[in-house]
Amino acid sequence: MTTHIVLIGVGALGSHVALLARNLDVSLKVIDFDRIEQKNTLSQFHTRMSLGHNKACALAQTMMGLFGARIEAVPHRLTADNVDALLSGGDLLIDCLDNAASRRLVQRWARRHAVPCLHGALAPDGAYGRVIWDEHFVIDEAPEDNQATCEDGEHLAFIAQVAAVLVQSLQAHLAEGATPSYHLRRGEVVRVA
Amino acid sequence: MSTTHPRRHEARVNITLNGQNGDMSDPVPFDATDQQIKHWSLEAIRSGTVSGISPRVAGSLEGCVIDRFPATATVPVNRIFVRPRTPFG
Repeated sequence: MTTHIVLIGVGALGSHVALLARNLDVSLKVIDFDRIEQKNTLSQFHTRMSLGHNKACALAQTMMGLFGARIEAVPHRLTADNVDALLSGGDLLIDCLDNAASRRLVQRWARRHAVPCLHGALAPDGAYGRVIWDEHFVIDEAPEDNQATCEDGEHLAFIAQVAAVLVQSLQAHLAEGATPSYHLRRGEVVRVA
Repeated sequence: MSTTHPRRHEARVNITLNGQNGDMSDPVPFDATDQQIKHWSLEAIRSGTVSGISPRVAGSLEGCVIDRFPATATVPVNRIFVRPRTPFG
């Protein structure tokens, strides 16, 4: 039976998760309200051809054009008012959001409905990442000197590594129900649970 | 540098600060407060006993987060991570 996955946030991590999950026997719905800017093309799986387009819609178009992979795109911001409508039907959630408020919406919904949720998270300097199943996930607030993350392209390989570990953890869950969680530093992947 | 194996109520502490990373040589109580863990971590870094972290990088750990993971079958030791915040995705 096909697993219905809802991926929330298709920026740096989420766009690469969609790319790397394309061969899995899953259906994928991606949610993101944001539009693609020039700087995003340095660190996200979005192309110059999609500048100005919605990230979710552009990703769906790219995946279909390059790989024939069908993705459902939802070009909306997740809010308390629409969280039920947008996440319902998902057998599993993947949170690759970039703000604590939206992560809390996802986490609360996942726990209320007992839906497995895998979180991906990056440090502002692109030097630390987490891939954590919800039972162990702590939501980090942005630091006061909130800096845009990973925008200069220097961290692309690390971002892709975190995304790859996230998809591997997802595969382990789909295959055997496992929930392996990891912390990542440059050149190092540490299983934490 | 040798490290002491944690007992059941203790945890191994791993610290990441300013891009450097290392384990504290001695375990700490798993139920220590966040402030205690940050204090001990900073003391250990300043004393040069955290292999992998130069005492010169020791600044404040106030912006760091404490993560706790109890021992499991696959990771058979309690772990505490002192790490930078990861608010982005």
